[in-house]
Amino acid sequence: MVAEVSDEELMGQIRNGDEEAFRILIERHQDRVYGTVARMVGGSGPEVEEIAQDVFLRVWKAAATYRAEAKFTTWLMTVVRNLVFTRTAQRARRKDIDGSDPVDEETGESIMARAPDPAGRTPGEALSFRELERAVEEACAELPENQRLVVHLRQYEGMEFEEIGKITGMSLAAVKSLMFRARETLKKKLSGYLGASK
Amino acid sequence: MEKKWSSEEDLGKELEALLAKASPPRAPAWFAAKTLARLRQEEVREGGRSWWVGWRWVWAAGAAALVAAWVIWDRPKAGMEISDAEVFAALDALVQQDEENRWWAGL
Repeated sequence: MVAEVSDEELMGQIRNGDEEAFRILIERHQDRVYGTVARMVGGSGPEVEEIAQDVFLRVWKAAATYRAEAKFTTWLMTVVRNLVFTRTAQRARRKDIDGSDPVDEETGESIMARAPDPAGRTPGEALSFRELERAVEEACAELPENQRLVVHLRQYEGMEFEEIGKITGMSLAAVKSLMFRARETLKKKLSGYLGASK
Repeated sequence: MEKKWSSEEDLGKELEALLAKASPPRAPAWFAAKTLARLRQEEVREGGRSWWVGWRWVWAAGAAALVAAWVIWDRPKAGMEISDAEVFAALDALVQQDEENRWWAGL
């Protein structure tokens, strides 16, 4: 039932103030939005949740003027991009926010690292997996914003380069160039893990 | 949702396999409920604010109307002229008043 209703139809219902349609839309896209924000901002704390919520609140407000000129996900990711870039610019200005994981005051250990492993790995496996995860996250986080976004949209959201171009407001050649530069940087940063991942 | 293709323009199979191991985090289970709660909260707040903003404009318009009325009432009437005789009479009256005041003050 829920899957039958398209995003565009849901937006039409949201325009009329339908909160149930809005809930369906959130549940359908929350992982995509949350994941992208997390990758762009770094971590998965309350700041990420707040920005992801802001994205959906903006969708609610923009429903009245929304026109299905492009794919809904393209439009949604443009909203994500704009909000994330604004927030990171604000954060860069403030310079007083520590983007690292919350740390236990007594042990200095990352609280996130202590969380039980959802895949049920042994502590040793989980540790090496977390190390790899962290290395990938850090390597991605060190990429310039635009490169990071292009890599994320291509790798994790499976978007076409043309679609990414619409989201970032760049030409196809510029997007491919960003991807190339990101690949070279990631290769260098993750060289220690590349052989082991086979 | 992860991509199913790989081309020379992409990251390369090895790097893609590595990145696939570190998927971005998923939204917490309560995310939709919390977002809807925040929406309602913000609508209540904005509703209150719009009422206040509406009344603020009423007050501002009222104040502006009063100031305009006072300026119109207070401005010199067009074509009004004061003759020299009236000016001298007013000055004489002032001087006389001053003399009276001095007399009453015993000066």
